[in-house]
Amino acid sequence: MNGKLWEFKTRQVVYGAIGAALYGVLSWLTNVVPLPAAGNITFRPAVAVMIFFGVAFGPWVGFIAGLVGNILGDAISGFGFWWHWDIGNGIMGLIPGLAMLMIQDYRKLKDISIAVGFGIVGILVGMLFASVMEKLTGGIDWATAIGGYWVPASIGNTIVTVILLPILMVAYQAVVSRRGR
Amino acid sequence: MLVAWKYRPRNTIIQRLDPRARLIFLACLFASFAVAQIWDIRLLFPLFVLSAVLYLLARIEWQDIRRAWIFFLIFIVVIVGVNALLSGRGGPMSVLHDTSPVLIQTPTLTIAKWNIRITITTMRVFFALTQMMRMFTMAILALPIPYTIDPSVYGVSFRRMGLPDKASFTMDLAFRFIPTLGRDFSITVDAQRARGYEMESLSGGIFSRLRRLAPLIVPVTMQAILTGEEVIDAMDLRAFGVRPRTWLRELHYERRDYLFIGLGVAILVISIILRSMGVGAFWAPDWIYHLTGK
Repeated sequence: MNGKLWEFKTRQVVYGAIGAALYGVLSWLTNVVPLPAAGNITFRPAVAVMIFFGVAFGPWVGFIAGLVGNILGDAISGFGFWWHWDIGNGIMGLIPGLAMLMIQDYRKLKDISIAVGFGIVGILVGMLFASVMEKLTGGIDWATAIGGYWVPASIGNTIVTVILLPILMVAYQAVVSRRGR
Repeated sequence: MLVAWKYRPRNTIIQRLDPRARLIFLACLFASFAVAQIWDIRLLFPLFVLSAVLYLLARIEWQDIRRAWIFFLIFIVVIVGVNALLSGRGGPMSVLHDTSPVLIQTPTLTIAKWNIRITITTMRVFFALTQMMRMFTMAILALPIPYTIDPSVYGVSFRRMGLPDKASFTMDLAFRFIPTLGRDFSITVDAQRARGYEMESLSGGIFSRLRRLAPLIVPVTMQAILTGEEVIDAMDLRAFGVRPRTWLRELHYERRDYLFIGLGVAILVISIILRSMGVGAFWAPDWIYHLTGK
């Protein structure tokens, strides 16, 4: 793999933007067509794509894809602007980005497990940040912040990531070898 | 099937405004909702009227924006239906601890081990109404943006608002890629359907349903990454990031732009002052407590 972890050059600019646009469009689509969920758990398949951008292109790209993508997705849905969820989503993409240099082969079980592991940590931390901020700003109590926001958001995003991230990684290996870089 | 967010040049007051002024105004109003947390319908209504006037001044052709509104209407029904009426989530504390009369109370339903008991109170109905007005106001402000701002000025707008070159270009590309990716997604759906993929009859558990989204998500993502390689090559060839950039279009503020920004800032400042005085939180008229439930 080329490049250092925290580099911010043309590559990061372009993939950050593409990741954000993809996350925005896919979140918008799945907002409109919600997948059947148990209780108040929602499944956003777009999260797996955003985490994949972090894993493949590093922490900056993951952060921009999550932050800008969530702002754009909410804006085109007409959902408004929720800064703490935007930053929470940014964290959710940044942490899996830290795994970028550890991934050698996107088809190997070990590498896929590392990516999924970092993805889950990102989800837990990012959603915890947003839920705690929701408590501090929105006037809800701890039980609602944890039980009503953090747990359902984390479960939904984790399931989506565990299922779709490995599929994306295997497909990406073909792109990597075709590109020859 | 999807929304194209098609920009057209129009000779309207809205499109003569500097794009920076419009983005700053939008940010101020969104901040009034999100940061100052205005939830009082008596304050929301004037903002809704103002936003609606601006929307009408933009004179966007109905056939262009129709699909975006249809998507939004479905979305608002889902969000307001599920969140506001059923759980009161996403709302202030008073909605969660609500003592208003009950309108509808279903018996406890057991669906796949989840006990669901739906209680709809007058307060929740009023909360749903308030939330709809908030969302309509934000949507009516945000939806016209892609239709009325020339895609080629996003980058320079963010640059002249003080963002660095790289960040401005990231925003520029993200805005421009949204319609392209939306179109790619729509083409992929058609292509997979032609191969016998059935989106409507997604049966089975949640795991297999999610896995079956892969034929839609994977091609769109990989195509976007390949396109990204070409964009990177093109930008590197033009020595992107080597030195500060110059931009093809220059932006100049005029008096109307300052007035427009001033209006946005004034709304934000007033919202913050009102909120710090304790005005503007969720409000419901007294009579909803005196309605007798069925």
